Amino acid sequence: MADAKTWARVKSPWVLHFNSGACNGCDIEIVALLTPKYDIERFGIKLEPSPRHADVLLATGCVTHQCAERLKRVYDQMPQPKFVVAIGACACSGSVFEGNYNVVGGVDKVIPVTAYIPGCPPRPEAIIDGVLKLLSTISTPPKKEKQVQAHRAEPALAEVKQNGKQ
Amino acid sequence: MIAMIDLLLIFRILVFPGFTFILFLALFCEWIDRKLEARIQNRVGPIVAGPGGILQPLADFIKLLTKEDIEPRDTKKLVFRFAPLAAFTIMIFAMCFLPIDGASVLSSGTSIAESGFNGDLIIILAFATIANFLLFLAGWASANPYGTISSARVLTQFLGYDIPLYIIALTPAFIAGSLSIGVIAAGVPYILLAPWAFVLFIITMQAELEKGPFDVPHSESELVGGLETEYTGAKLAFLHLTRDVQVVFGSALVVTLFLGGPSGPVFFGLDWLFHTIWFVLKLIVVVAISAYITNVFARLRIDQVLTGNWKILLPAALLSLMLTITLVTWVYHPFGIGV
Repeated sequence: MADAKTWARVKSPWVLHFNSGACNGCDIEIVALLTPKYDIERFGIKLEPSPRHADVLLATGCVTHQCAERLKRVYDQMPQPKFVVAIGACACSGSVFEGNYNVVGGVDKVIPVTAYIPGCPPRPEAIIDGVLKLLSTISTPPKKEKQVQAHRAEPALAEVKQNGKQ
Repeated sequence: MIAMIDLLLIFRILVFPGFTFILFLALFCEWIDRKLEARIQNRVGPIVAGPGGILQPLADFIKLLTKEDIEPRDTKKLVFRFAPLAAFTIMIFAMCFLPIDGASVLSSGTSIAESGFNGDLIIILAFATIANFLLFLAGWASANPYGTISSARVLTQFLGYDIPLYIIALTPAFIAGSLSIGVIAAGVPYILLAPWAFVLFIITMQAELEKGPFDVPHSESELVGGLETEYTGAKLAFLHLTRDVQVVFGSALVVTLFLGGPSGPVFFGLDWLFHTIWFVLKLIVVVAISAYITNVFARLRIDQVLTGNWKILLPAALLSLMLTITLVTWVYHPFGIGV
């Protein structure tokens, strides 16, 4: 039974795309995945419109203060087990916007991230590779790492809330 | 002896051609649908799960079953929990009246014509309506603006399109002179005697199944996930499965009413096997036609859907019925065609 469960999860990851303040470059590359050239449905990956249906959150952008709480809320709406892929240099670390007055800098400051795909923007091949590497880890999820990141997320959100009040 | 018959009946209901068979048939038809859609869009479609991706719908189903089940605070709990399951149950029950292996699931009649009772055509059409109504309730209870809009559209659409559907479904009944599905399926394929009704029935079925140019209730990019927006886990799995079984049911109804159901050449005395093969082959043809229509035409607006229903399809259905009755009375029955 457990094998069937893992098999089904690996073969059928439905993704949700969330833009937390990206320049639309990464988003266009994500949309390119659905086109005939890359056709990500081969792997059973479907772009779902509702966070309630999704297994994987494809997060792009450097996470502005406005977006941080929305990103957290979208993440909370997803049912377990859920995974986050940070796509693009901005989503991984904040990139050139790191330290800007209106930017949190990096998706992993708000929600736990499972896979990072750097690039500005990353090629569609790189995104497919990253998602497939994520799928290969689903059978043995790195639990400790995830907990550490989740712990890290709390102070960042508190900071975001404080900034929002000011 | 009685115990033997009961065992056979239980096997027929649970395994073949009942629950399990219909379940896998529905998943198989979803695979055909997705594959054709992908090919029409110049894509490959699912290919990793199983040979040619044939296990993709099964993987989706199992995955959804094992996901966390979230119930948002403002939902109407009772309806939210039971509507998807009830809709699925009713659709499976409706499928059980169709002569899949030469006899309906609940009967053990010896020929196709004896496999039903007079009036079961009306009963399964009513089941389809009830299932649609339960889907409306499911969306309405989910306390989501998108789900509510989608539900309202489902209700508007299926209440309107049920009328031409019932009227056109009467065409084969008039030619066969019976309201029993078995008698209708045992006759000649009525597509030969009433091709106009076949075309109208396919169009109405697209609207009834919310597919093709009539998918206003599900319109992606407008309504997020339609009435499924708030659903997760097992409930979502059963909503998806209900959609699949509805598609199979609609196509199976077209097969039974217009394409002669399970009739076809039978060899080696293996009646049930060949009847099933003919039924499934015809079913695949209808599913392919349906998928083609879905992917080739652009979505209509909600007002166009309603105009098309009340101003075009309903008069056309009535005209079709008049034509059929005229032909049946003065041409078909006097010359002994299709009786």
